[in-house]
Amino acid sequence: MTTLVRGGRLIDPLQGIDAVRDVLIENGFVAAIGEHLDANDARVVEAGGAIVAPGFIDMHVHLREPGQTHKETIASGTAAAVAGGFTAVACMPNTEPALDSAAIVSEVMRRADAAGLARVYPVGALTRARAGTELAPYHLLADAGCVAFSDDGSTPRDARLLRNAARYAADLPCVFISHCEDPDLKGDAVMNEGEASMRLGLDGAPGLAEDVIVARDLLIAADTGKAWHIAHVTTATSLDLIRWARARGVRVTCEVTPHHLAFLDDRFDDYRADAKVNPPLRGSHDREALRAAVLDGTVDVLATDHAPHGADEKAQLLSAAPVGFTGLEIALGAYALALPELTLGRFVELLAVNPARILGVPGGTLAVGMPGDVSVFADRPWTVDARLFRSKGKNTPFDGLVLPRRALATIVDGAVVFEHGRVLPREEVTA
Amino acid sequence: MPARSLLDVDDLSPAELVAVLDRAVAFREVLPPRDLLAGVPVLNLFFEASTRTATSFTLAEQRVGADVISFAPGASSLGKGETIADTALTLYGIGVRVIVVRHQQSGFARRLADAFEGHVINAGDGTHAHPTQALLDLMTLRQEFNRFDGLRVAIVGDILHSRVARSNIVGMRAMGIDVTLVGPPTLLPREFGAGGVRIERDFDAVLPHVDAVMMLRIQRERITGGLLASLDDYTLRYQLNRARLRSLGGSAMILHPGPYNRGVELTDDVLDDPRSRYVAQVHNGVFVRMAVLDLLVNGVPVAA
Repeated sequence: MTTLVRGGRLIDPLQGIDAVRDVLIENGFVAAIGEHLDANDARVVEAGGAIVAPGFIDMHVHLREPGQTHKETIASGTAAAVAGGFTAVACMPNTEPALDSAAIVSEVMRRADAAGLARVYPVGALTRARAGTELAPYHLLADAGCVAFSDDGSTPRDARLLRNAARYAADLPCVFISHCEDPDLKGDAVMNEGEASMRLGLDGAPGLAEDVIVARDLLIAADTGKAWHIAHVTTATSLDLIRWARARGVRVTCEVTPHHLAFLDDRFDDYRADAKVNPPLRGSHDREALRAAVLDGTVDVLATDHAPHGADEKAQLLSAAPVGFTGLEIALGAYALALPELTLGRFVELLAVNPARILGVPGGTLAVGMPGDVSVFADRPWTVDARLFRSKGKNTPFDGLVLPRRALATIVDGAVVFEHGRVLPREEVTA
Repeated sequence: MPARSLLDVDDLSPAELVAVLDRAVAFREVLPPRDLLAGVPVLNLFFEASTRTATSFTLAEQRVGADVISFAPGASSLGKGETIADTALTLYGIGVRVIVVRHQQSGFARRLADAFEGHVINAGDGTHAHPTQALLDLMTLRQEFNRFDGLRVAIVGDILHSRVARSNIVGMRAMGIDVTLVGPPTLLPREFGAGGVRIERDFDAVLPHVDAVMMLRIQRERITGGLLASLDDYTLRYQLNRARLRSLGGSAMILHPGPYNRGVELTDDVLDDPRSRYVAQVHNGVFVRMAVLDLLVNGVPVAA
């Protein structure tokens, strides 16, 4: 099978390319980069006027399978991924049961293969059942395909256990990913602590709840030498802590989400849970710090924290409604909306180069011989209509907004899995 | 057009607020015929226990001739997983046109009002708002001072957990009252200082300079996680007692939304003090609630 991505502006920072180039993919791998390549009998993706990049990887996604398939399935989540311009996702382990055994991880990978859309890289649980009391079997999980470990959604309270986890897993390449919120400081918060929460009579989580766990985890990373990734950073102080740790040689990376870049904690006057998320949307001081940190290089990765839920679940009272919302299908536009000054080269670093490096997975460049995973997108405004999402989760605070950028075509392993607004599962590959 | 609701004081324009108080005063002087809401089904939906507010609303509803249904939904359909929208649809379908609702959670009244085609009156939602309490407090203040503008009022105690404080801040600011909040930093975070409200920690420094002091109940069930060291420690600085009554002006007024904890935020001396207006407050409450029902269902002419 041969695929030719023709006439697009190729942005490939690792190769230093920002020019109109054709990309030829044969048998799943990049075979040639050049001008006016011969199409022959290749499947052609016309990318004239569009931008072509190494496949985007969203390293923070909740696919909900197994156990919560009314919210999302591996098939629906990866359909949302490719429609949103992603060729791969890392899926978080807070499923039911959690991704804490090789058998479950293998089954997730089998179902991802069967879906035939985006690549799926499982993130294994950090502790058994994410309960924070016993280590998950890291070597078994890594053998089964896990690329990182996390108790995302919460954090182990026990610093000794976390330190031992980092020591025990020190020689595995899999990064630890932290969800940083102190459960005591957070309490029953449904939003950020600030003037809005005080006025509305709602429990708020202070930024401090995040900062103290970021500090703890950075110190454990420094102590153990384990590579660490701080998920969904939301505060100026956390960013300062990360800069401090990095200056001391700690192996730390971090990500920010589209919603924390775009929105403030002023979205709760109707007491609906549409914008309820952990960590919560913050105030303008923190949001401006996040935007600046993406531009100045402190932030390594843009990740959505795609967290689909049923409409009825999100329609509950604020205290009862689950946290999070879908992100895969608005991501590219949302990033461009929040960060209009971000260069395309940096954009590709944040979405492809750095996630591939941090997770230790192939990709991040379309150099000859690399996997034929390509994201084609353009700066064309469109209006979000969540009802049209491929994701089962139809809830997003971006619903109804006009976003300036969108995915046009997505190619995984040389197969065109999204084009002209349609998701196109790969045909069954026979061995 | 959706029916009007009263979720917080600022659902009323300043002119409407004054009109409601005027109407309440008129009702207090001469009870109206019992037909202002003749045949209108009014549901009292109290998810949270209430003595004075539930009784006051019920009496107000009966005095305007409404068909009163009272219901304390311990394990209602909402507890069985029915959505707010479905409950609202059902209640309207049954024929309910006004819901007076109290709920433990902030925002419940708003969520119900957004789904219900009739009128919703918020009788207290979590720590957020209690607009009819604020209206009766304003009515009691005006009764005494015949004005709002320039009055100095201190609200003292557990501001953080007080829907009464929040609604009074909104209502008093709208009426031009000079509001000072007094309490310890854990129960009065600095974020309350937004919008022209003063924050003071020293009750004794504030007392001599106010026209009215509103003492809030310490909500013991919410005092967790180190919000207070102890009640003794709190009362040393924030209790209104015999000694502090001496520094309160002779013509000043003491308000309390009730229920009070004798010996905590105030002592028996306060309740016996002639400046205490607790009885006037609860008395006015019935007329304010009649006026609110009348405004929402029938509209009230507002002078241009």
